[in-house]
Amino acid sequence: MKKHLIGRPVPRKEGRAKVTGQARYVDDLVFPGMLYGATVRSRVPRGRIKGISFGEGIPWHEFTIVTAKDIPGENYVALIAHDQPYLADGAVNHSEEPVVLLAHPEKYLLEEARRAVQLEIEALRPTFTIEDSLNKKEIIWGEDNLFKSYSVEKGNVDEVWARADFIVEGEYRTGAQEQLYIETNGMIAVAIPEKGVTVWGSMQCPYYVHKALMALFGLPADKVRVIQSETGGGFGGKEEYPSMIAGHAALLAWKSGKPVKIIYDRAEDMAATTKRHPSRTRHRTAVSKDGKLLGMEIDFVIDGGAYTTLSPVVLSRGTIHAPGPYFCPNVRIRSRAVATNAPPHGAFRGFGAPQSIFALERHLNRVARAIGLTPEEFRRRNFIQPGQTTATGQVIRENVNMNHLLERALVLSDYHAKTARFARENSGQRRKKGMGFASFMHGAGFTGSGEQYLASVVELEATPQGRVRVLAASTEIGQGTNTIFSQIAADALGLDYDSIEILKPDTASVPNSGPTVASRTCMVVGKLVEAAALGLQQTLVGSGYLPEGYTPAGFERACKRYIESHGPLKSSSQYQPPPGIHWDDATYYGDAYGTYAWAVYVAEVTVDTVTFEIEVNDFVAVQEVGKVIHPVLAAGQIEGGVAQAIGYALYENVVWNEGRMFNSQMTNYIMPTAVDVPPIRVFFEELPYSYGPAGAKGLGELPMDGAAPAIVNAIENATGVSIHHIPVMPESLMEALAVTEKAVERA
Amino acid sequence: MQAFEYAHPRSMTEALPLLGSRWGETEILAGGTDLLSLMKNYVVTPKRVVNIKGLRELRGIRGTPEGIYIGALVTLEELRTSQPMHEYPALAQAAAGVTSPQIRNMGTVGGDLCQRPRCWYFRSGFGLLARDESGRSLVPQGENRYHAILGNDGPAYFVNPSSLAPALIALGAKARLDGQNGERYVALAEFFVIPKSDAERENVLQPNEILTHVIIPEGAWELSSATYEVRQKEALDWPLATAAVALKMQAGKVASARIVLGHVAPIPWPAPEAEKSLAGQPINEATAARAGEAAVQGAKPLSGNRYKVQLARVAVKRALLAAARPRSIGAKGGV
Ligand SMILES: Cc1cc2nc3c(=O)[nH]c(=O)nc-3n(C[C@H](O)[C@H](O)[C@H](O)COP(=O)(O)OP(=O)(O)OC[C@H]3O[C@@H](n4cnc5c(N)ncnc54)[C@H](O)[C@@H]3O)c2cc1C
Repeated sequence: MKKHLIGRPVPRKEGRAKVTGQARYVDDLVFPGMLYGATVRSRVPRGRIKGISFGEGIPWHEFTIVTAKDIPGENYVALIAHDQPYLADGAVNHSEEPVVLLAHPEKYLLEEARRAVQLEIEALRPTFTIEDSLNKKEIIWGEDNLFKSYSVEKGNVDEVWARADFIVEGEYRTGAQEQLYIETNGMIAVAIPEKGVTVWGSMQCPYYVHKALMALFGLPADKVRVIQSETGGGFGGKEEYPSMIAGHAALLAWKSGKPVKIIYDRAEDMAATTKRHPSRTRHRTAVSKDGKLLGMEIDFVIDGGAYTTLSPVVLSRGTIHAPGPYFCPNVRIRSRAVATNAPPHGAFRGFGAPQSIFALERHLNRVARAIGLTPEEFRRRNFIQPGQTTATGQVIRENVNMNHLLERALVLSDYHAKTARFARENSGQRRKKGMGFASFMHGAGFTGSGEQYLASVVELEATPQGRVRVLAASTEIGQGTNTIFSQIAADALGLDYDSIEILKPDTASVPNSGPTVASRTCMVVGKLVEAAALGLQQTLVGSGYLPEGYTPAGFERACKRYIESHGPLKSSSQYQPPPGIHWDDATYYGDAYGTYAWAVYVAEVTVDTVTFEIEVNDFVAVQEVGKVIHPVLAAGQIEGGVAQAIGYALYENVVWNEGRMFNSQMTNYIMPTAVDVPPIRVFFEELPYSYGPAGAKGLGELPMDGAAPAIVNAIENATGVSIHHIPVMPESLMEALAVTEKAVERA
Repeated sequence: MQAFEYAHPRSMTEALPLLGSRWGETEILAGGTDLLSLMKNYVVTPKRVVNIKGLRELRGIRGTPEGIYIGALVTLEELRTSQPMHEYPALAQAAAGVTSPQIRNMGTVGGDLCQRPRCWYFRSGFGLLARDESGRSLVPQGENRYHAILGNDGPAYFVNPSSLAPALIALGAKARLDGQNGERYVALAEFFVIPKSDAERENVLQPNEILTHVIIPEGAWELSSATYEVRQKEALDWPLATAAVALKMQAGKVASARIVLGHVAPIPWPAPEAEKSLAGQPINEATAARAGEAAVQGAKPLSGNRYKVQLARVAVKRALLAAARPRSIGAKGGV
């Protein structure tokens, strides 16, 4: 039996289909008699719908028109709370809120018709900022504008202030960010009242869509079918929103009796679908003379937009990551997700952690400066060690060595020599160079008891030809699910890469292996693939057909004989928490994650203090992620995540105008291109994790967390100015540099 | 995009009658890099689109006794790489500054000069002058971080988006405009105008005219010229501020200077004060800085674009210092 695939850069499972154009994305699918669907949106951030009128010059009788009263089941997008309607009924709570749906065979006429629908909306006073929402200027959601709040208490923070040698405070903010997957959101639906609803589309979580459509149509599980088409990226942006667009396409299909396709163009996708939650974090930190953290008080607030969507869980992850990879005996975190009249914010790679880690890693530099230590020395004195507890009381049982990661990252980036050289050379220069780093971690899998609730299942089935099929709802969205599942299954069974097939996620044929989110696919679902593969092997061994030390040919013979005498050969595996994991939802205490990936990232920047241009010149990413299953895909995840975080730090500025994204075009919402991204040097430490497949952990979100604070720390190192919000725009850099109009260019 | 009629004429005589006499009826299509997004976003909704790419007479760069004729269909990439343009560093650098091979290969000189403003209000359907119901512009107190700091007494606050225009104006170029009644020549310095109403455009072109050539006058090759751009990001984006300068030097001193700022005013913005400050001076740190200062003397930043004053000042200074250095094509842009 050979094991030879894990750790090797095997070709992507679906790579050939993608590069030869055989892969079929949702907009490639055409059904006979298909209509196109479009969405009429409120355009008013908050108000009451008084009337809907259909303008002149459009042959309205040719159109299928759907409003809230056409909904056969429940008018809400089933997720955590049931507050978000599929179609506004009476009230609108954000400017992109869907009110009317239209379908027509002709795309261009459809767009004109969409523009000809007039909504009469009586405007109410909207709330746009975290502050206004917290101050309850208007109550726009529930009783207090709060979707969710948490509090974490460890030790006794109240008594540390009196004995602290230093108390350092700071406030940090992060903006919204658009996921900018290459393929925009899209769905096709076929819905026939007697038969049920089927949708095809671009998505991360087929069973989320499934659950939402069951409620929308009042249908039993077997009458709703969700099929993932090839998906061009997600980053969280296809976690919850596909339920909305699938429902819309299905409502139009239900009413028209025809297949209906809805594809968002880039502007609609950017403006109307979920983005990263803007945040505000306040820190108050008590430190002793010898540079030890005594107490941390953290107030973390995220702007959830108009409806709950995933805000409670985004908040939860952001809260737990807020104290970072440090040990502090006394911690108090208060966190809140507030409502505003912006389109709902939602899942995006990192899921709350990039926000709270940005704040922490900026703040700790400020703390280090206040007490006269270098940023690295201050961190060395406070890194969490095996056996110590996190803010939620989780005992670190792994052999974490943040010091080692830090040293390695500093050596690889030539940090010490460069900081010294830049300090010498910067003076008198208008272009100043600087080094900055961030230390952080990211918990893999759902937070707390999340994985237990999901109770994911994976099934494997062998064919008489000795091929093995993996049945899971985990989606390939470009990140490599199909490839790593094949590696894991093949190695567990000692088979060739090509003898593994991954079935397309289709709720009619694959079990619910949970959503493709939270850095959980490799570690959690991959482990289920491994377990199911071993189960399959055991069945064959138990039946006496599979000899020890078998070859692939022997495996094939065994499958054939087994199936001939016993029927289908299947094995399934369901999630079991690792032993000793405890989490209490009520007290918010315990093991928040099975494990974490740990990292230190270093950025080198040049800042032109006269033109406010910022360049990232070099980037070193060192991380401990357990066993690396596929080195090229893993490095690709890190590089992509860092590039996305460079955008978060320096370019991607969602500008709001009356609650609408004003710059929803790729010419004005600017993102980094190949020339703006430096070489990203990726280094892995591999400490196998006992409960991941072959020792792997999750790593997909990790790179999003640390790059932005590393860059802003580097800007501070270069210029001496401290910036507390991202993205850093030229005008905010100017303010920070306090360049007056009169200032003459020096040097 | 709204449905439209598509015309593909083969000659000027065929093309001109296809153009409407009022803005809004027809649009000229060259490379389409700007027009298509305007149409997709319903900013313009022509009934007919006239593709001029079949007009051979608008191609190519040729030298004549009066100067260099650059056809309107010459692409930015041709402009960047063609040998004769190396005599005009300001122009080649401006073309190279359009940092995306895709845009440079599709975008044309005529299209670059006639591209519409990038103002977010204009592009989002608020009209060229972005006025509210009461007729007041939304810009001065709105999202104006990329808007004008000069020439912004209203009603227009957008900036002219062309990177080529400042360089061409500094070099003294003119445009040839052809209509059914024949051709006319307009100095590029007079080609751009600040519109007074939403029905007007940003230049003197009539709706039924085609910009056919840009002519750089004979002798301009003697000028020391340069373009300097300040950008937030290095590719697929317009600059935040640019300056193009063309200097006539005599014995190490400035005999005459043209300085034109880009992306800071509704039209390419000449800086006569800065030009005057240089007369008879050598170009050095001090004189260049003084000229930068003079160029932004009249700047009136809006609520959110004060930083651009600094960028414009610096761009002038750096362009001057670059022009005074021995000739080389700008390093920026080769992506
Ligand atoms: C991402 C991006 C970045 C860019 N960055 C820059 C930059 O840094 N600097 C810069 O200067 N430009 C920049 N551009 C703009 C680009 O240079 C222009 O879009 C291009 O030059 C337009 O040429 P075109 O042939 O494609 O014009 P088209 O899109 O075909 O036409 C543009 C406009 O000009 C009119 N027009 C075209 N040709 C003529 C003619 N001969 N006579 C009369 N009217 C005509 C059209 O009717 C239309 O209104 C950028 C564009 C993009 C998309």
